[in-house]
Amino acid sequence: MSDVMELEPSHTGHEMREQIRQSADRNRSRRLAVSRVMVALCSAAIVLAAVPLVLLMYQLIKQGAGQISWKFFTTLPTTPTLLDPTATGGISNAIVGTLALTLYASVMAIPLGIIVGIYLAETQSKLATTLRVIAQTMAGAPSILMGLFAFSFIVHDLNVGFSAIAGSFALAVLMMPVIIISTEIAVRNVPATLREAGLALGAKSHKVSLKVVLPSALTGIVTGVILAISRAIGETAPVMLVIAGGFINSWKPLSPVSAMPLAIYENAKSEWPSQRAQVWGIALVLVVFVFILSLSARIWASRKQQVR
Amino acid sequence: MVEVQARVEAETPKERGATAMQLTNVAVAFHGRTAVRDCTFDVTKNTVTSLIGPSGSGKTTLLRALNRLHDLTPGAKVSGTIFLEGTDIYRGDITVTELRTRVGMVFQRPNPFPTMSIYDNVVSGLRFNGIKKKALLDEAAETSLRSAALWDSVSNRLKVAASNLSGGEQQRLCIARALALDPEVLLMDEPTSALDPIATLHIEELMKTLKSRVTVIIVTHNMQQAARISDDCAFLLMGDDRAGELIEFDTTEKIFNNPEDSRTLDYTLGRFG
Repeated sequence: MSDVMELEPSHTGHEMREQIRQSADRNRSRRLAVSRVMVALCSAAIVLAAVPLVLLMYQLIKQGAGQISWKFFTTLPTTPTLLDPTATGGISNAIVGTLALTLYASVMAIPLGIIVGIYLAETQSKLATTLRVIAQTMAGAPSILMGLFAFSFIVHDLNVGFSAIAGSFALAVLMMPVIIISTEIAVRNVPATLREAGLALGAKSHKVSLKVVLPSALTGIVTGVILAISRAIGETAPVMLVIAGGFINSWKPLSPVSAMPLAIYENAKSEWPSQRAQVWGIALVLVVFVFILSLSARIWASRKQQVR
Repeated sequence: MVEVQARVEAETPKERGATAMQLTNVAVAFHGRTAVRDCTFDVTKNTVTSLIGPSGSGKTTLLRALNRLHDLTPGAKVSGTIFLEGTDIYRGDITVTELRTRVGMVFQRPNPFPTMSIYDNVVSGLRFNGIKKKALLDEAAETSLRSAALWDSVSNRLKVAASNLSGGEQQRLCIARALALDPEVLLMDEPTSALDPIATLHIEELMKTLKSRVTVIIVTHNMQQAARISDDCAFLLMGDDRAGELIEFDTTEKIFNNPEDSRTLDYTLGRFG
Protein backbone atom coordinates (compact mmCIF):
# COMPACT_ATOMS: atom_id res chain seq x y z
CA MET A 1 0.00 0.00 0.00
CA SER A 2 2.62 2.45 1.02
CA ASP A 3 4.72 1.54 -2.04
CA VAL A 4 1.88 2.43 -4.39
CA MET A 5 1.25 5.67 -2.54
CA GLU A 6 4.84 6.66 -3.04
CA LEU A 7 5.00 5.61 -6.68
CA GLU A 8 1.88 7.36 -7.82
CA PRO A 9 2.85 11.00 -7.37
CA SER A 10 6.33 10.51 -8.79
CA HIS A 11 4.78 8.84 -11.84
CA THR A 12 2.46 11.75 -12.61
CA GLY A 13 5.31 14.10 -11.81
CA HIS A 14 7.41 12.36 -14.46
CA GLU A 15 4.63 12.58 -17.03
CA MET A 16 4.14 16.25 -16.29
CA ARG A 17 7.84 16.98 -16.68
CA GLU A 18 7.84 15.15 -20.02
CA GLN A 19 4.95 17.28 -21.24
CA ILE A 20 6.67 20.48 -20.15
CA ARG A 21 9.79 19.42 -22.03
CA GLN A 22 7.83 18.64 -25.19
CA SER A 23 6.00 21.92 -25.09
CA ALA A 24 9.31 23.75 -24.62
CA ASP A 25 10.78 21.97 -27.67
CA ARG A 26 7.75 22.79 -29.81
CA ASN A 27 7.99 26.46 -29.00
CA ARG A 28 11.74 26.71 -29.18
CA SER A 29 12.11 27.90 -32.78
CA ARG A 30 9.23 30.33 -32.45
CA ARG A 31 10.66 31.80 -29.25
CA LEU A 32 14.07 32.17 -30.86
CA ALA A 33 12.53 34.04 -33.79
CA VAL A 34 10.58 36.37 -31.51
CA SER A 35 13.69 36.99 -29.45
CA ARG A 36 15.72 37.95 -32.57
CA VAL A 37 13.02 40.35 -33.77
CA MET A 38 12.82 41.99 -30.34
CA VAL A 39 16.59 42.45 -30.13
CA ALA A 40 16.57 43.97 -33.63
CA LEU A 41 13.75 46.36 -32.69
CA CYS A 42 15.54 47.45 -29.52
CA SER A 43 18.78 48.07 -31.43
CA ALA A 44 16.91 50.08 -34.04
CA ALA A 45 15.27 52.18 -31.34
CA ILE A 46 18.65 52.90 -29.75
CA VAL A 47 20.13 53.97 -33.10
CA LEU A 48 17.08 56.09 -33.85
CA ALA A 49 17.33 57.83 -30.49
CA ALA A 50 21.07 58.37 -30.87
CA VAL A 51 20.97 59.83 -34.41
CA PRO A 52 19.68 63.31 -33.54
CA LEU A 53 22.03 63.51 -30.57
CA VAL A 54 25.08 62.52 -32.59
CA LEU A 55 24.11 64.89 -35.41
CA LEU A 56 23.67 67.70 -32.92
CA MET A 57 27.04 67.10 -31.29
CA TYR A 58 28.69 66.80 -34.72
CA GLN A 59 27.21 70.10 -35.88
CA LEU A 60 28.05 71.77 -32.59
CA ILE A 61 31.70 70.78 -32.70
CA LYS A 62 32.12 71.27 -36.45
CA GLN A 63 30.66 74.77 -36.43
CA GLY A 64 31.64 75.79 -32.93
CA ALA A 65 35.22 74.59 -32.49
CA GLY A 66 36.54 77.13 -35.02
CA GLN A 67 35.10 79.97 -32.95
CA ILE A 68 36.91 79.01 -29.78
CA SER A 69 40.02 81.02 -28.99
CA TRP A 70 41.52 82.74 -25.99
CA LYS A 71 40.13 86.01 -27.30
CA PHE A 72 36.65 84.47 -27.52
CA PHE A 73 36.66 83.97 -23.76
CA THR A 74 38.35 87.16 -22.69
CA THR A 75 37.10 90.03 -24.82
CA LEU A 76 33.84 91.89 -25.01
CA PRO A 77 31.66 91.63 -28.10
CA THR A 78 31.96 94.30 -30.77
CA THR A 79 29.58 95.19 -33.56
CA PRO A 80 30.88 94.39 -37.03
CA THR A 81 31.07 97.28 -39.50
CA LEU A 82 31.13 97.41 -43.26
CA LEU A 83 34.87 98.01 -43.07
CA ASP A 84 35.43 95.05 -40.76
CA PRO A 85 32.49 92.65 -41.11
CA THR A 86 34.16 89.92 -39.02
CA ALA A 87 34.88 92.04 -35.95
CA THR A 88 32.57 90.21 -33.55
CA GLY A 89 34.76 90.24 -30.47
CA GLY A 90 34.41 87.67 -27.67
CA ILE A 91 31.74 86.67 -25.24
CA SER A 92 33.35 87.45 -21.90
CA ASN A 93 30.30 89.46 -20.80
CA ALA A 94 28.00 86.50 -21.47
CA ILE A 95 30.28 84.11 -19.58
CA VAL A 96 30.62 86.44 -16.60
CA GLY A 97 26.89 87.14 -16.74
CA THR A 98 25.95 83.47 -16.75
CA LEU A 99 28.32 82.74 -13.87
CA ALA A 100 26.96 85.67 -11.86
CA LEU A 101 23.33 84.79 -12.56
CA THR A 102 23.89 81.15 -11.64
CA LEU A 103 25.81 82.07 -8.51
CA TYR A 104 23.15 84.44 -7.17
CA ALA A 105 20.33 82.11 -8.17
CA SER A 106 22.07 79.23 -6.38
CA VAL A 107 22.58 81.31 -3.24
CA MET A 108 18.85 82.06 -3.21
CA ALA A 109 17.44 78.70 -4.28
CA ILE A 110 19.70 76.00 -2.83
CA PRO A 111 19.40 76.64 0.94
CA LEU A 112 15.70 77.44 0.75
CA GLY A 113 14.94 74.52 -1.56
CA ILE A 114 16.79 72.03 0.64
CA ILE A 115 15.11 73.28 3.81
CA VAL A 116 11.64 73.08 2.25
CA GLY A 117 12.44 69.62 0.82
CA ILE A 118 13.46 68.33 4.25
CA TYR A 119 10.36 69.87 5.78
CA LEU A 120 8.14 68.13 3.25
CA ALA A 121 9.84 64.79 3.87
CA GLU A 122 9.68 64.99 7.64
CA THR A 123 6.25 66.39 8.39
CA GLN A 124 2.70 65.57 7.50
CA SER A 125 0.66 68.75 7.70
CA LYS A 126 -1.74 70.71 5.56
CA LEU A 127 1.03 73.24 4.94
CA ALA A 128 3.36 70.51 3.71
CA THR A 129 0.73 69.13 1.35
CA THR A 130 0.04 72.60 -0.03
CA LEU A 131 3.75 73.34 -0.48
CA ARG A 132 4.23 70.04 -2.30
CA VAL A 133 1.42 70.79 -4.75
CA ILE A 134 2.85 74.26 -5.38
CA ALA A 135 6.34 72.85 -5.96
CA GLN A 136 5.06 70.22 -8.37
CA THR A 137 3.00 72.77 -10.28
CA MET A 138 5.94 75.17 -10.44
CA ALA A 139 8.20 72.42 -11.74
CA GLY A 140 5.92 72.02 -14.73
CA ALA A 141 5.29 75.72 -15.34
CA PRO A 142 6.71 77.27 -18.56
CA SER A 143 9.95 79.06 -17.76
CA ILE A 144 8.94 82.31 -19.49
CA LEU A 145 6.47 82.68 -16.62
CA MET A 146 9.34 83.11 -14.17
CA GLY A 147 10.72 85.83 -16.44
CA LEU A 148 7.38 87.63 -16.55
CA PHE A 149 7.07 87.39 -12.79
CA ALA A 150 10.59 88.70 -12.21
CA PHE A 151 9.93 91.53 -14.67
CA SER A 152 6.70 92.69 -13.11
CA PHE A 153 7.78 92.14 -9.51
CA ILE A 154 11.49 92.99 -9.34
CA VAL A 155 12.10 95.18 -12.37
CA HIS A 156 8.84 97.08 -12.29
CA ASP A 157 7.11 96.96 -8.88
CA LEU A 158 10.26 97.08 -6.75
CA ASN A 159 11.79 99.43 -9.32
CA VAL A 160 15.12 97.62 -9.32
CA GLY A 161 15.42 97.84 -13.09
CA PHE A 162 16.99 95.44 -15.54
CA SER A 163 19.62 93.66 -13.51
CA ALA A 164 21.48 90.47 -12.69
CA ILE A 165 19.48 90.16 -9.49
CA ALA A 166 16.18 90.16 -11.38
CA GLY A 167 17.50 87.44 -13.71
CA SER A 168 18.85 85.32 -10.90
CA PHE A 169 15.58 85.71 -9.04
CA ALA A 170 13.76 84.26 -12.06
CA LEU A 171 16.28 81.41 -12.25
CA ALA A 172 16.01 80.77 -8.52
CA VAL A 173 12.23 80.41 -8.82
CA LEU A 174 12.90 77.96 -11.64
CA MET A 175 15.47 75.96 -9.67
CA MET A 176 13.60 75.77 -6.41
CA PRO A 177 10.94 73.17 -7.30
CA VAL A 178 13.58 70.85 -8.76
CA ILE A 179 15.63 71.09 -5.56
CA ILE A 180 12.59 70.74 -3.30
CA ILE A 181 11.30 67.63 -5.04
CA SER A 182 14.66 65.85 -5.29
CA THR A 183 15.52 66.69 -1.67
CA GLU A 184 12.20 65.34 -0.45
CA ILE A 185 12.71 62.08 -2.35
CA ALA A 186 16.31 61.73 -1.14
CA VAL A 187 15.32 62.30 2.50
CA ARG A 188 12.36 59.95 2.26
CA ASN A 189 14.63 57.24 0.88
CA VAL A 190 16.74 57.20 4.04
CA PRO A 191 15.64 54.03 5.89
CA ALA A 192 13.46 54.65 8.94
CA THR A 193 15.68 52.25 10.91
CA LEU A 194 18.52 54.81 10.80
CA ARG A 195 16.30 57.50 12.27
CA GLU A 196 15.17 55.06 14.98
CA ALA A 197 18.77 54.15 15.70
CA GLY A 198 19.57 57.80 16.28
CA LEU A 199 16.54 58.43 18.48
CA ALA A 200 17.22 55.26 20.46
CA LEU A 201 20.62 56.74 21.36
CA GLY A 202 18.90 59.65 23.05
CA ALA A 203 19.36 62.12 20.20
CA LYS A 204 16.82 64.87 19.79
CA SER A 205 14.77 64.76 16.62
CA HIS A 206 16.49 67.71 14.94
CA LYS A 207 19.92 66.23 15.73
CA VAL A 208 18.92 63.00 14.04
CA SER A 209 17.76 64.96 11.00
CA LEU A 210 21.01 66.92 10.80
CA LYS A 211 23.57 64.27 11.72
CA VAL A 212 22.04 61.05 10.46
CA VAL A 213 19.32 61.62 7.87
CA LEU A 214 20.84 64.55 6.00
CA PRO A 215 24.30 63.00 5.48
CA SER A 216 22.66 59.79 4.28
CA ALA A 217 20.53 61.73 1.81
CA LEU A 218 23.36 64.02 0.68
CA THR A 219 24.16 62.21 -2.56
CA GLY A 220 20.58 62.50 -3.74
CA ILE A 221 20.31 66.13 -2.64
CA VAL A 222 23.51 67.19 -4.40
CA THR A 223 22.48 65.38 -7.57
CA GLY A 224 19.19 67.31 -7.54
CA VAL A 225 20.96 70.61 -6.91
CA ILE A 226 23.35 70.08 -9.82
CA LEU A 227 20.47 69.10 -12.06
CA ALA A 228 18.74 72.34 -11.11
CA ILE A 229 21.89 74.40 -11.78
CA SER A 230 22.41 72.72 -15.15
CA ARG A 231 18.88 73.55 -16.11
CA ALA A 232 19.15 77.16 -14.95
CA ILE A 233 22.41 77.76 -16.85
CA GLY A 234 20.80 76.91 -20.16
CA GLU A 235 17.54 78.81 -19.72
CA THR A 236 16.93 81.79 -21.99
CA ALA A 237 13.31 82.64 -21.43
CA PRO A 238 13.37 83.62 -17.74
CA VAL A 239 16.34 85.96 -18.15
CA MET A 240 15.73 87.59 -21.53
CA LEU A 241 13.03 89.88 -20.16
CA VAL A 242 14.92 91.15 -17.15
CA ILE A 243 18.73 91.32 -17.57
CA ALA A 244 18.88 93.66 -20.57
CA GLY A 245 21.98 91.98 -22.04
CA GLY A 246 24.65 94.36 -20.76
CA PHE A 247 27.83 94.78 -22.81
CA ILE A 248 30.21 94.87 -19.84
CA ASN A 249 31.82 92.24 -17.62
CA SER A 250 29.89 92.80 -14.43
CA TRP A 251 29.43 90.80 -11.27
CA LYS A 252 27.32 93.54 -9.67
CA PRO A 253 23.85 92.28 -8.78
CA LEU A 254 22.20 95.56 -9.75
CA SER A 255 23.82 96.09 -13.13
CA PRO A 256 22.44 94.72 -16.39
CA VAL A 257 24.31 91.61 -17.51
CA SER A 258 24.36 89.26 -20.46
CA ALA A 259 24.11 85.47 -20.43
CA MET A 260 25.22 82.79 -22.83
CA PRO A 261 21.74 81.61 -23.85
CA LEU A 262 20.68 85.22 -24.39
CA ALA A 263 23.81 85.89 -26.48
CA ILE A 264 22.91 82.90 -28.65
CA TYR A 265 19.41 84.28 -29.12
CA GLU A 266 20.60 87.81 -29.94
CA ASN A 267 23.39 86.71 -32.28
CA ALA A 268 21.14 84.33 -34.14
CA LYS A 269 18.97 87.31 -35.07
CA SER A 270 21.95 89.36 -36.26
CA GLU A 271 22.23 90.58 -39.84
CA TRP A 272 25.98 89.89 -39.82
CA PRO A 273 26.98 86.36 -40.88
CA SER A 274 30.01 86.58 -38.63
CA GLN A 275 27.81 87.12 -35.58
CA ARG A 276 25.44 84.36 -36.64
CA ALA A 277 28.41 81.99 -36.91
CA GLN A 278 29.36 82.88 -33.36
CA VAL A 279 26.27 81.21 -31.88
CA TRP A 280 27.82 77.76 -32.39
CA GLY A 281 30.86 78.79 -30.41
CA ILE A 282 28.71 80.07 -27.56
CA ALA A 283 26.52 76.96 -27.66
CA LEU A 284 29.62 74.75 -27.50
CA VAL A 285 30.92 76.59 -24.44
CA LEU A 286 27.51 76.30 -22.78
CA VAL A 287 27.25 72.57 -23.46
CA VAL A 288 30.77 71.99 -22.14
CA PHE A 289 29.82 73.94 -18.98
CA VAL A 290 26.79 71.76 -18.36
CA PHE A 291 28.73 68.61 -19.25
CA ILE A 292 31.46 69.40 -16.72
CA LEU A 293 28.84 70.11 -14.06
CA SER A 294 26.92 66.87 -14.50
CA LEU A 295 30.13 64.85 -14.89
CA SER A 296 31.47 66.19 -11.61
CA ALA A 297 28.13 65.40 -9.98
CA ARG A 298 28.32 61.83 -11.21
CA ILE A 299 31.91 61.36 -10.08
CA TRP A 300 31.11 62.86 -6.70
CA ALA A 301 28.04 60.69 -6.26
CA SER A 302 29.81 57.47 -7.22
CA ARG A 303 32.71 58.22 -4.87
CA LYS A 304 30.22 58.82 -2.07
CA GLN A 305 28.54 55.54 -2.93
CA GLN A 306 31.85 53.71 -2.55
CA VAL A 307 32.42 55.12 0.90
CA ARG A 308 29.20 53.41 1.89
CA MET B 1 -0.94 37.91 36.87
CA VAL B 2 -0.70 39.22 40.38
CA GLU B 3 -0.45 35.66 41.53
CA VAL B 4 2.39 34.93 39.14
CA GLN B 5 4.29 37.96 40.26
CA ALA B 6 3.82 37.10 43.90
CA ARG B 7 5.12 33.64 43.25
CA VAL B 8 8.15 34.92 41.35
CA GLU B 9 8.97 37.14 44.24
CA ALA B 10 8.47 34.29 46.63
CA GLU B 11 10.60 31.94 44.62
CA THR B 12 13.28 34.37 43.76
CA PRO B 13 14.41 36.06 46.91
CA LYS B 14 17.36 38.28 47.60
CA GLU B 15 19.91 36.31 45.59
CA ARG B 16 18.22 37.57 42.46
CA GLY B 17 19.18 41.11 43.29
CA ALA B 18 17.44 44.42 42.74
CA THR B 19 14.83 45.25 40.11
CA ALA B 20 15.97 47.14 37.01
CA MET B 21 12.58 47.64 35.39
CA GLN B 22 9.14 47.09 36.75
CA LEU B 23 6.15 46.70 34.44
CA THR B 24 2.60 46.94 35.77
CA ASN B 25 -0.41 46.32 33.53
CA VAL B 26 1.44 47.65 30.52
CA ALA B 27 -0.65 47.85 27.36
CA VAL B 28 0.05 49.43 23.99
CA ALA B 29 -2.69 50.48 21.57
CA PHE B 30 -2.51 51.96 18.09
CA HIS B 31 -5.45 54.18 17.14
CA GLY B 32 -7.52 52.62 19.90
CA ARG B 33 -6.73 49.03 18.90
CA THR B 34 -4.87 47.13 21.58
CA ALA B 35 -1.71 45.43 20.31
CA VAL B 36 -0.45 44.06 23.62
CA ARG B 37 -1.80 44.19 27.18
CA ASP B 38 -1.67 42.80 30.71
CA CYS B 39 2.10 42.84 30.94
CA THR B 40 3.15 42.79 34.56
CA PHE B 41 6.60 41.57 35.54
CA ASP B 42 9.85 42.67 37.10
CA VAL B 43 13.14 42.63 35.26
CA THR B 44 15.95 41.77 37.65
CA LYS B 45 19.22 43.67 37.45
CA ASN B 46 22.13 41.98 35.65
CA THR B 47 20.05 39.24 34.15
CA VAL B 48 18.91 38.42 30.65
CA THR B 49 15.12 38.43 30.26
CA SER B 50 13.71 37.08 27.04
CA LEU B 51 10.31 37.84 25.55
CA ILE B 52 9.09 34.84 23.59
CA GLY B 53 5.92 34.01 21.73
CA PRO B 54 4.61 33.50 18.22
CA SER B 55 4.39 36.25 15.58
CA GLY B 56 1.82 38.89 16.44
CA SER B 57 1.97 38.31 20.17
CA GLY B 58 3.28 41.82 20.78
CA LYS B 59 6.86 41.10 21.88
CA THR B 60 8.45 43.87 19.84
CA THR B 61 5.60 46.26 20.61
CA LEU B 62 6.15 45.70 24.32
CA LEU B 63 9.92 46.11 23.98
CA ARG B 64 9.55 49.41 22.17
CA ALA B 65 7.40 50.73 25.00
CA LEU B 66 10.38 50.36 27.33
CA ASN B 67 12.41 53.15 25.70
CA ARG B 68 9.36 55.12 24.58
CA LEU B 69 10.01 54.49 20.90
CA HIS B 70 6.24 54.49 20.37
CA ASP B 71 6.29 58.23 21.10
CA LEU B 72 7.11 58.70 17.41
CA THR B 73 4.17 56.74 16.10
CA PRO B 74 1.04 58.83 15.62
CA GLY B 75 -1.93 57.22 17.36
CA ALA B 76 0.15 55.03 19.67
CA LYS B 77 -0.79 54.97 23.34
CA VAL B 78 1.01 53.22 26.17
CA SER B 79 -0.91 52.62 29.40
CA GLY B 80 0.03 51.02 32.69
CA THR B 81 3.26 51.95 34.43
CA ILE B 82 6.87 51.19 33.65
CA PHE B 83 9.46 51.99 36.28
CA LEU B 84 13.18 52.28 35.64
CA GLU B 85 15.02 52.20 38.97
CA GLY B 86 12.03 53.71 40.74
CA THR B 87 11.27 56.36 38.09
CA ASP B 88 8.06 56.21 36.10
CA ILE B 89 9.42 56.53 32.56
CA TYR B 90 6.23 58.03 31.12
CA ARG B 91 5.16 60.31 33.96
CA GLY B 92 8.21 60.60 36.17
CA ASP B 93 11.00 63.13 36.34
CA ILE B 94 12.91 61.91 33.31
CA THR B 95 13.15 63.24 29.76
CA VAL B 96 12.72 60.89 26.85
CA THR B 97 16.28 61.57 25.68
CA GLU B 98 17.71 60.80 29.13
CA LEU B 99 15.63 57.62 29.27
CA ARG B 100 17.03 56.48 25.94
CA THR B 101 20.59 57.02 27.10
CA ARG B 102 19.83 54.81 30.11
CA VAL B 103 17.85 52.20 28.16
CA GLY B 104 19.78 51.38 24.99
CA MET B 105 18.46 49.44 22.01
CA VAL B 106 19.77 47.05 19.40
CA PHE B 107 17.55 46.42 16.38
CA GLN B 108 16.59 43.43 14.31
CA ARG B 109 18.81 44.34 11.39
CA PRO B 110 22.22 45.87 11.97
CA ASN B 111 21.74 49.60 11.35
CA PRO B 112 25.07 51.37 11.72
CA PHE B 113 25.03 54.92 10.34
CA PRO B 114 26.26 54.40 6.77
CA THR B 115 27.93 57.77 6.39
CA MET B 116 29.97 57.42 9.58
CA SER B 117 33.21 55.58 10.31
CA ILE B 118 33.38 52.77 12.85
CA TYR B 119 34.70 55.20 15.44
CA ASP B 120 32.06 57.85 14.71
CA ASN B 121 29.34 55.22 14.97
CA VAL B 122 30.47 54.08 18.41
CA VAL B 123 30.68 57.57 19.85
CA SER B 124 27.62 58.92 18.00
CA GLY B 125 25.34 58.55 21.03
CA LEU B 126 27.78 60.51 23.18
CA ARG B 127 28.11 63.21 20.53
CA PHE B 128 24.32 63.47 20.14
CA ASN B 129 24.21 64.17 23.84
CA GLY B 130 26.76 66.93 23.73
CA ILE B 131 29.99 65.18 24.73
CA LYS B 132 32.86 66.59 22.69
CA LYS B 133 36.05 65.90 24.66
CA LYS B 134 38.25 63.70 22.51
CA ALA B 135 39.88 61.83 25.39
CA LEU B 136 36.48 60.90 26.76
CA LEU B 137 35.20 59.76 23.36
CA ASP B 138 38.36 57.74 22.66
CA GLU B 139 38.09 55.98 25.98
CA ALA B 140 34.38 55.21 25.53
CA ALA B 141 35.02 53.93 22.01
CA GLU B 142 37.70 51.51 23.14
CA THR B 143 35.79 50.31 26.23
CA SER B 144 32.56 49.67 24.40
CA LEU B 145 34.22 48.06 21.38
CA ARG B 146 36.04 45.76 23.80
CA SER B 147 32.77 44.97 25.57
CA ALA B 148 31.21 44.12 22.23
CA ALA B 149 34.18 41.85 21.40
CA LEU B 150 34.97 43.91 18.35
CA TRP B 151 38.05 45.89 19.42
CA ASP B 152 40.65 43.37 18.28
CA SER B 153 39.33 43.15 14.75
CA VAL B 154 38.69 46.88 14.18
CA SER B 155 41.20 48.76 16.35
CA ASN B 156 43.51 49.31 13.36
CA ARG B 157 40.73 50.57 11.04
CA LEU B 158 38.53 52.76 13.20
CA LYS B 159 38.30 55.41 10.48
CA VAL B 160 36.91 52.98 7.92
CA ALA B 161 33.23 53.24 6.95
CA ALA B 162 31.06 51.02 9.15
CA SER B 163 29.40 49.52 6.09
CA ASN B 164 32.64 47.67 5.28
CA LEU B 165 32.06 45.34 8.22
CA SER B 166 30.30 42.00 7.91
CA GLY B 167 26.71 41.64 9.13
CA GLY B 168 27.76 40.09 12.45
CA GLU B 169 30.41 42.74 12.99
CA GLN B 170 27.91 45.47 12.16
CA GLN B 171 25.52 44.12 14.79
CA ARG B 172 28.33 44.04 17.36
CA LEU B 173 29.13 47.61 16.35
CA CYS B 174 25.50 48.52 17.06
CA ILE B 175 25.83 46.86 20.47
CA ALA B 176 29.01 48.84 21.11
CA ARG B 177 27.23 52.01 20.01
CA ALA B 178 24.48 51.38 22.56
CA LEU B 179 26.99 50.42 25.28
CA ALA B 180 29.00 53.61 24.79
CA LEU B 181 26.30 55.53 26.65
CA ASP B 182 26.77 53.15 29.59
CA PRO B 183 23.08 52.22 29.78
CA GLU B 184 21.52 50.33 32.68
CA VAL B 185 19.25 48.32 30.39
CA LEU B 186 19.86 47.06 26.88
CA LEU B 187 16.83 46.20 24.74
CA MET B 188 17.49 43.77 21.91
CA ASP B 189 14.88 43.17 19.23
CA GLU B 190 15.67 39.80 17.64
CA PRO B 191 19.30 40.88 17.31
CA THR B 192 20.45 37.71 15.58
CA SER B 193 17.57 37.08 13.18
CA ALA B 194 19.49 38.57 10.26
CA LEU B 195 22.75 36.80 11.10
CA ASP B 196 24.30 33.45 10.24
CA PRO B 197 24.74 30.77 12.94
CA ILE B 198 28.39 31.62 13.69
CA ALA B 199 27.67 35.33 14.08
CA THR B 200 24.62 34.40 16.18
CA LEU B 201 26.81 32.32 18.46
CA HIS B 202 29.20 35.25 18.92
CA ILE B 203 26.36 37.59 19.87
CA GLU B 204 24.95 35.02 22.31
CA GLU B 205 28.35 34.57 23.95
CA LEU B 206 28.54 38.33 24.15
CA MET B 207 25.17 38.63 25.88
CA LYS B 208 26.26 36.24 28.61
CA THR B 209 29.26 38.42 29.43
CA LEU B 210 27.35 41.68 28.99
CA LYS B 211 24.90 41.01 31.77
CA SER B 212 27.55 41.72 34.38
CA ARG B 213 27.41 45.37 33.37
CA VAL B 214 23.95 45.79 31.85
CA THR B 215 20.49 44.28 32.22
CA VAL B 216 19.41 42.70 28.94
CA ILE B 217 15.84 42.35 27.65
CA ILE B 218 15.72 40.44 24.41
CA VAL B 219 12.93 39.59 21.98
CA THR B 220 13.57 36.31 20.23
CA HIS B 221 11.75 33.93 17.94
CA ASN B 222 14.31 31.29 18.62
CA MET B 223 13.35 29.23 21.67
CA GLN B 224 16.71 27.50 21.88
CA GLN B 225 18.24 30.92 22.05
CA ALA B 226 15.91 31.96 24.86
CA ALA B 227 16.71 28.74 26.73
CA ARG B 228 20.48 29.16 26.21
CA ILE B 229 20.92 32.75 27.20
CA SER B 230 18.13 34.01 29.41
CA ASP B 231 17.56 33.86 33.14
CA ASP B 232 13.91 34.86 33.01
CA CYS B 233 11.32 34.41 30.34
CA ALA B 234 8.07 36.19 29.48
CA PHE B 235 5.71 34.20 27.26
CA LEU B 236 3.23 36.23 25.20
CA LEU B 237 0.40 34.97 23.06
CA MET B 238 -2.15 36.55 20.77
CA GLY B 239 -5.61 36.57 22.37
CA ASP B 240 -8.96 36.02 20.67
CA ASP B 241 -9.22 39.71 19.80
CA ARG B 242 -5.80 39.55 18.12
CA ALA B 243 -4.16 41.53 20.91
CA GLY B 244 -1.06 40.05 22.48
CA GLU B 245 -1.06 39.34 26.18
CA LEU B 246 1.34 38.04 28.78
CA ILE B 247 0.58 34.40 29.53
CA GLU B 248 3.35 33.61 31.92
CA PHE B 249 6.48 35.12 33.40
CA ASP B 250 8.97 33.06 35.31
CA THR B 251 12.53 31.82 35.40
CA THR B 252 13.63 30.36 32.09
CA GLU B 253 14.13 27.02 33.76
CA LYS B 254 10.54 26.94 34.96
CA ILE B 255 9.07 28.18 31.69
CA PHE B 256 10.84 25.49 29.71
CA ASN B 257 10.57 22.61 32.15
CA ASN B 258 7.52 23.07 34.28
CA PRO B 259 5.31 25.99 33.23
CA GLU B 260 2.05 26.84 34.97
CA ASP B 261 0.05 27.34 31.79
CA SER B 262 -0.46 24.49 29.35
CA ARG B 263 -0.18 26.89 26.39
CA THR B 264 3.35 27.77 27.46
CA LEU B 265 4.29 24.12 27.44
CA ASP B 266 2.69 23.60 24.02
CA TYR B 267 4.64 26.52 22.62
CA THR B 268 8.01 25.62 24.09
CA LEU B 269 7.55 22.05 22.90
CA GLY B 270 6.90 23.35 19.42
CA ARG B 271 3.29 22.23 19.17
CA PHE B 272 2.33 25.57 17.62
CA GLY B 273 3.80 28.93 16.65
